[in-house]
Amino acid sequence: MDDVPQNLTNAAETTGEVDDKWVSSSCSLCYASCSIKAHRVNGTVIKIEGNPESAVGKGRLCGKGVSGIMSHYDPNRLNKPMKRTNPEKGKGVDPMWEEISWDEALDTVAGKLKALREDDPRKLLIMRTTTVMTQHIPPFAFMSAFGTPNASAAGGGLHCGNGAHLISGIMHSSWSIVPDFQYCNYAVYFGASKGHAAGHASCSNMTMAADARARGMKMVVVDPFANQAGANSTEWVPIRVGTDAGLALAMANVLVNELEMYDVAYLKAKTNMPYLIGNDTRYIRDSETNKPMVWDSATSQACTFDKTDSADMAIEGTYMVDGKQCRPGFVLMKEHLKTYTVERGEEITTIPAENIRRIATEFAEEARIGSTIVIDGVTVPYRPVAAIAFRGSQGHKNSTYNMLSVDLLNHLVGAADVAGGCLGFNPACDGYPETGRLKYIPHPDPDGLMITGSWMGPHGPYPIGDPAPPERVGLQNLFPMAMGSVFQGSTDQEEMWEKFDFDYRPEFLLNLGANQIMSVGNSDAVEASLKKFKFIVSFDIFATETTEFADIVFPDCGYLETTDSRSNFPFIFSLPAGLGEWCWPIRQEVVEPEGERRLFADVLQELGDRIGITPDLNAAYNAWFELEGENRLKPDRKYTFAEIGDHDLKDKFGPDKGLDYFKEHGLVKWPKKPNEVYWRAFTDVRVPLYWEWMNDTWEKTMAIAEPKGLDIPKEYYSPLPDWLPCPSHECDHEDFDFYAFYYRDIVHTNSLTMENAWLDEAAQLDPYSYNIAINASVGREKGLQSGDLISVENEHGHKVEGRARLTETIHPEGLGIGACAGHWARRMPTAKGKGVFFNDLVELDWHHSSPSNLTVDLCAKVKVTKLEAAQ
Amino acid sequence: MRWGMVIDLKRCIGCYGCQLSCKAENGTPPGVFFARVHKQEEGQYPTAQTTFLPVLCNHCDDPPCVDVCPTGASFVWEDDGIVDIDADKCVGCRSCMMACPYSQRFLNDDPQNYYGDQGATPYEQARVERHQTGVVMKCNFCRDRVRNGQDPACVENCPTIARYFGDLDNPNSEVSRLIRERSGFPLHPEKGTNPNVYYLPA
Repeated sequence: MDDVPQNLTNAAETTGEVDDKWVSSSCSLCYASCSIKAHRVNGTVIKIEGNPESAVGKGRLCGKGVSGIMSHYDPNRLNKPMKRTNPEKGKGVDPMWEEISWDEALDTVAGKLKALREDDPRKLLIMRTTTVMTQHIPPFAFMSAFGTPNASAAGGGLHCGNGAHLISGIMHSSWSIVPDFQYCNYAVYFGASKGHAAGHASCSNMTMAADARARGMKMVVVDPFANQAGANSTEWVPIRVGTDAGLALAMANVLVNELEMYDVAYLKAKTNMPYLIGNDTRYIRDSETNKPMVWDSATSQACTFDKTDSADMAIEGTYMVDGKQCRPGFVLMKEHLKTYTVERGEEITTIPAENIRRIATEFAEEARIGSTIVIDGVTVPYRPVAAIAFRGSQGHKNSTYNMLSVDLLNHLVGAADVAGGCLGFNPACDGYPETGRLKYIPHPDPDGLMITGSWMGPHGPYPIGDPAPPERVGLQNLFPMAMGSVFQGSTDQEEMWEKFDFDYRPEFLLNLGANQIMSVGNSDAVEASLKKFKFIVSFDIFATETTEFADIVFPDCGYLETTDSRSNFPFIFSLPAGLGEWCWPIRQEVVEPEGERRLFADVLQELGDRIGITPDLNAAYNAWFELEGENRLKPDRKYTFAEIGDHDLKDKFGPDKGLDYFKEHGLVKWPKKPNEVYWRAFTDVRVPLYWEWMNDTWEKTMAIAEPKGLDIPKEYYSPLPDWLPCPSHECDHEDFDFYAFYYRDIVHTNSLTMENAWLDEAAQLDPYSYNIAINASVGREKGLQSGDLISVENEHGHKVEGRARLTETIHPEGLGIGACAGHWARRMPTAKGKGVFFNDLVELDWHHSSPSNLTVDLCAKVKVTKLEAAQ
Repeated sequence: MRWGMVIDLKRCIGCYGCQLSCKAENGTPPGVFFARVHKQEEGQYPTAQTTFLPVLCNHCDDPPCVDVCPTGASFVWEDDGIVDIDADKCVGCRSCMMACPYSQRFLNDDPQNYYGDQGATPYEQARVERHQTGVVMKCNFCRDRVRNGQDPACVENCPTIARYFGDLDNPNSEVSRLIRERSGFPLHPEKGTNPNVYYLPA
């Protein structure tokens, strides 16, 4: 029963020294980056557990996190630089790799980069994976130093949240939203899985969500499929795919026009609902200050929003100001919502009208409008309800409004960033007490509307910039609400570049672990876009499907071989929301890199040095890490990424808390205060429920686009949110009777984990992970049974195949497939052929994308054909 | 002293954290799961629900697997009630596997590593190769951890805190209290095995 490995005993006997250490670090099996302790014995990692000292994960890990050992020791990991010897590139084409020396690889790449930079630096596109989110700064620093505007994540972000991040940023000053699990009593989930082993603050949320459910929090889950979040719900509300805004707006109508239950004080003080709107849909602005005006009921005259108590601001009525007829934004909101009757909601969503009314009523009643609660001696508003949304609901053509409509529910009842309500992840921080660094708080723009206190990049989500003639390959300059973009791999990218007179084309792809041919949409389109590059360099841990297009491959370090000073900062990304602790853990090397692996961030430094941009790189790092004083990097020195991390840590935590301190202690933490967590009540900012800028943005975008022959549908740029159909809802071809959609499986992270043998084994045993979920009654009507091999075809002829799994837990019109499965890379034998490659059903073009934020629509209307009976 | 476990089905979300942390702790070969999660469904659309049932050895008071073992390899630790296997005495006859009403015993005769012909990883060399092949293996409540004062790996790791471990002989222990207060139930009580793993209703 001796649990000590044999080799440990031998080593102790022969050398007298035992290597037996638990190393504090951070997981990287998904972007949540939960804190870990890795057990190393004689150089071998034999166990990974959660770090109980940390607020990030709270000492517990999901199935993916504990399985990291298998990714680390996978014999298919890349160990040496390689070059392709087969000039032909294509999906499934053998690159005929030849191992080369680091010198040859670096010389080749540096030479090409130098020439490219002299020619036109814009021709470089830097792509990175979202699963090294924690190290998103090195690629951005390299982008800035090199001088290209072109960098993106995961091939353009199909699996990311253009809408979710935009709205969470504008409305909550955070990357995402979550119920305040400690106090919430009624949470409505719209296509989100917070608390169910996925996403931001994943493991912490699992604990907190379970506590909340055990405490009695009702969880109403709106989802076509009751596999994960739905499985743990108090009530599962099956919905037609892609119609979440239809439900949310019908609920909002019940609140405002049927029940008349909304938080007047909140709307007056914390939103732009009192701002007067003219018949031209714009604010009535003061002629001197240009500030938006409100109607002061106390004096019966108009004044700027900052010149009267919010309690006196009218949100009802019609007024004349400077000869212009105008009404408070709330009047327009109420009228707009009247068109979303519960009956219309039913028509759009298939959810019975009475259910919509009941859920809205339960939400309104539980909101306890007007109540407060005392927490740690501080009185804060108490609204124990939350409506949250994430990937599923906002991954559609109507991305922006789907997300905004859901969040509207929180704001109508005043349940935004107050106790029990819908929280952003840590939008305000009083700073690290010993140094005063890390202090940030949302603040108002001249219109009184919120600018985020912290963000993932230098340009926050609000104010929305002016549209400009596009220069970035994804055309984001023209679409200022877009983060990722369909055009990085779309079938119409060349047409777009020609339309907008691009005087260059991307020629060089520097890929940092992204697998874009699997993560964007149908592989034919992405293959064509990859083949256009003259040169591709890929830093990767496996020779993925995208890396098979590379000319040179650099073997990257895995997370157990990496040191990184900030695995959970910015706090708005993945530190748990709500009361608890501020916590700054690091990631550190648990073992030395195997083979000839080198950390991509260090290789970027080496490449920068060889092409002569070290001073620019150091300046970029100074800016990105916000280094101050003596902690700023010196222009001419080539730093390792760990050295930069040491500067970063000393800069934030003081000279005695550099990398050595963190390597020993793993993290620094300090308690959160109620005024930080529930900052909204203490911060004089408003959020826009009436998106006044939308008409201007549309007009400015059209002014550029229309002369080039691109029409921008105006309905996506209205100041108030609408339900607008996906292309799938407009398909009326015979026999196309399912809405196919993908979901994130509980044991997998995008395409990263399918090569992990333990996770693959778990997924094979799961009834759904690798199969196609179809409603049992509908399936039987079509003569299908579980295990049948079926073909799923979209209206454009794109097809996938897989095994049917009949289930009672899916909407009759839905067809659910776990995302990013169906690998085909030759050097990923565990992942190869497992599951269904859903993305081949996703069309990549302007028509299938959000005209406001360029999100690709994740659903497709499909026809199902039986190919072979169950074995 | 009688170690027992309580699994709260209201908290479990079927994340497979127990199944996989068990694998990491015990280095079990492919196809062997001392802990597993069964995902099932109940009811009919639209009121159907997915349910999760985490399973492991029930460490029964009256374990049929021990009764049938011809060599004495399967035994109960007298001091704590844990049902265990002495691999040196096991001849791999599988009688215990047939006797266990919960299918929680595994013959270690399949491949020993996950990457097939590519060989054992350093982790597998350190952790999987400790297990004898040709013998039966199962959960022993992480007895080495427990004797060190720790909880079993699946309990300590569970991200939803759905698993509790303690002394069922002590009426004041958390596990005894949970079973009492929340109507804890074992699986297949009709088999007369008197299991020491209990479930709290969802």
